[in-house]
Amino acid sequence: MNRRTLLGGLFAAASVPALAACGSGITSLDGQGSVGSGAGSSKNGITIGTANFTENQVLGYLYAAVLEAAGVKTTVRPNLGTREILIPALKGGDIDLLPEYQGALLHYLAPKATATEEGEMQNALAIALPQGLQVLPYGMAEDSDAFAVTRETAEKYGLRTLADLAKHNGKLILGAAPEVKKREVGVVGLKDVYGVEFKEFKSLDSSGPLVKGALKKGDVDVANLFTTDTDIQTEGWVVLTDPKNLIPGQHVVPLIADRRADSTVRKALAELGNVLTTEDLTELNRQVDKDKKDPEDVARAYAEKKGLTKGSS
Amino acid sequence: MYELFKNLGAWLVSGEQWSGPDGIAHRLAEHLQYSLLATLIAAAIALPVGLLIGHTGRGAFLAINLSSFGRALPTVGLVVLVFLASGLSMWPVYVALVALAVPAIVTNTYAGMTAVDPEVKDAARGQGMRAHQVLFQVELPLALPLIMTGLRLALIQVVATATIAAYVSFGGLGRYVFDGLAQRDLVQVLGGAVLVAVIAVVLDLALSALQRALFRHRPA
Amino acid sequence: MTIEWSWISGHAGDLAALTVSHLQAALSAVFFGLLISLPLAVVAHRIRPLRGFLLGLSNVFFTIPSIAIFVLLLPVSGLTRTTTVIGLTVYTLVVLLRNTVEGLDSVPTRTKEAATAMGTRPLRVLLTVELPLALPVIMAGVRIATVMSISLVSVATYIGDGGLGQLFTDGFQRNFPTPVLVGVALTLLLALVADALLVAVQHVLTPWTRQKRGA
Repeated sequence: MNRRTLLGGLFAAASVPALAACGSGITSLDGQGSVGSGAGSSKNGITIGTANFTENQVLGYLYAAVLEAAGVKTTVRPNLGTREILIPALKGGDIDLLPEYQGALLHYLAPKATATEEGEMQNALAIALPQGLQVLPYGMAEDSDAFAVTRETAEKYGLRTLADLAKHNGKLILGAAPEVKKREVGVVGLKDVYGVEFKEFKSLDSSGPLVKGALKKGDVDVANLFTTDTDIQTEGWVVLTDPKNLIPGQHVVPLIADRRADSTVRKALAELGNVLTTEDLTELNRQVDKDKKDPEDVARAYAEKKGLTKGSS
Repeated sequence: MYELFKNLGAWLVSGEQWSGPDGIAHRLAEHLQYSLLATLIAAAIALPVGLLIGHTGRGAFLAINLSSFGRALPTVGLVVLVFLASGLSMWPVYVALVALAVPAIVTNTYAGMTAVDPEVKDAARGQGMRAHQVLFQVELPLALPLIMTGLRLALIQVVATATIAAYVSFGGLGRYVFDGLAQRDLVQVLGGAVLVAVIAVVLDLALSALQRALFRHRPA
Repeated sequence: MTIEWSWISGHAGDLAALTVSHLQAALSAVFFGLLISLPLAVVAHRIRPLRGFLLGLSNVFFTIPSIAIFVLLLPVSGLTRTTTVIGLTVYTLVVLLRNTVEGLDSVPTRTKEAATAMGTRPLRVLLTVELPLALPVIMAGVRIATVMSISLVSVATYIGDGGLGQLFTDGFQRNFPTPVLVGVALTLLLALVADALLVAVQHVLTPWTRQKRGA
């Protein structure tokens, strides 16, 4: 929600094709760019898109902070929607880069993918991604999907694992973001892997005010939350364990269009990935959600504190 | 585009799509419930106000400004504001829809009342009618066509806007629009939009038929 | 629900930028709406059979939820300002088209005949006689369309645009009333100021309506 964001909103459509056409200036140092089409260039700036929840915006602004420090002009467009909206926008050129999560992205691209280990997933992603898009090395920080219940519900139904949900088929209500209804890491996978059938699916939001409000109020029995949400601890909610590994590892991974991927971007984002831990990310989310700080300020302060802004320029 | 409309046809006629809590029948009923209740509440507030302003001739300035103020009020903002104040409840939906409907009803009621010929009112008074008799037996019947227009306008806007209920976790046809957005399922979005448009048009036709039936037997 | 004044003062620049973006979207919609409505209204005014069809069509557009229009435009224009402006333009049509047709209808036939009898060409009659006389009614439509667009821009926040509407989603996600209150207040202010300016514009453009009132 800063001026850059705004100008991005106003001019992104007009500037992207024009700039792509004249990007002949610098030869990229990057030898391992996209297959065939040659390496991309970030010389004319990068538009970062983010999904409709706090953490993704924090990550988007973190990307912007380290890229700006490396001399890349960035525009952040916050709150664009779900993965289902963002990936077509990335292919279409409205945005160039977005913070993603390994497992969730893989299952979106290849719903029946079996890879669960980080390295395997990275390889599987490289194969599953449509032409023109690539993932950069994944970072340390991880934000997984969690299916949580209140302490009372856990005791009442004897719930400890996701498998326990199947003992109460047709009785419980699941609350989650609308897209979770059709996702593998969601209603589909819970049925296939654990045989769980809910009485009802309530379309709410991504670990936001609706789903947490509904869980608190008892409007839903099970809620899909993010593991980096500090409310899980403060509210004492019980996260159901996943013995059959339905929920894949969700390391943060940058998803970028080939046309913008060069060594500068690669290096800057890799450095960030090697510094940012899950605990750090959780804390940054908390500062935005609870202390009402701007995601942009929080991200910049973190990047500075960790020495990530001592880049080339 | 062709593909989209072909899939829409399949979506609209599939029996599975019509049943269950997320079925069209249920969502349609919810949507009608939100819309009709909100319009009724709005009418209960706006009709007396409009009649009073029109009858006394005082507060016209207020009525006209209320109307432009109401049109400017951003529904999304109002919904979020009431949500933050009240938490997960139907309040945000009804407050926003009523706020949307009130101005149209007030201004049209007022316009209907002022359109009544003053000589007719004088004549009624001359015949010894009391103020409330003039209001209910002379002014109101003459103002009714414009009042009905206001109600129709309000109802159409409310039906189209009741989609917002889905934004704060509730049902109605907006469910298909918001879920379809999140899932990038355009068939579902189009299905929801078409159903909203259809019930808006049907309700409008029904009200205008009612309006014609009401006034057919009256001279002039 | 308390307001954090320090948040407002700390974000003055952002708020100004969002307000400008908001206004730009709304005014673009009214501009394109007029560009489409004027020729269509002339057609609807001249060719009676098309009149009902065009007005009916714009009425049907009006019954489609705005959020759905934005989403359905995604395959066409993506997550861009263009999507926002097209969506809003569709909504302005119902008001602008109806008012322009009614404005043209309100021009007395005798006036037009007089102009034609003096040898004025049809296009000139339209531009120098009919449209100026229809202006008060058209301007009334422009005022309604402008206020309506300003209030509707925020719906585009669901596709990542929406000017001041971004304050609504932000406040919603973070349970933070201040940005929401500010967004509502600025939207109302913008609408009232724009409306007042349009009244002034109309005053300047149609001096004859003032004289009539004075007489």
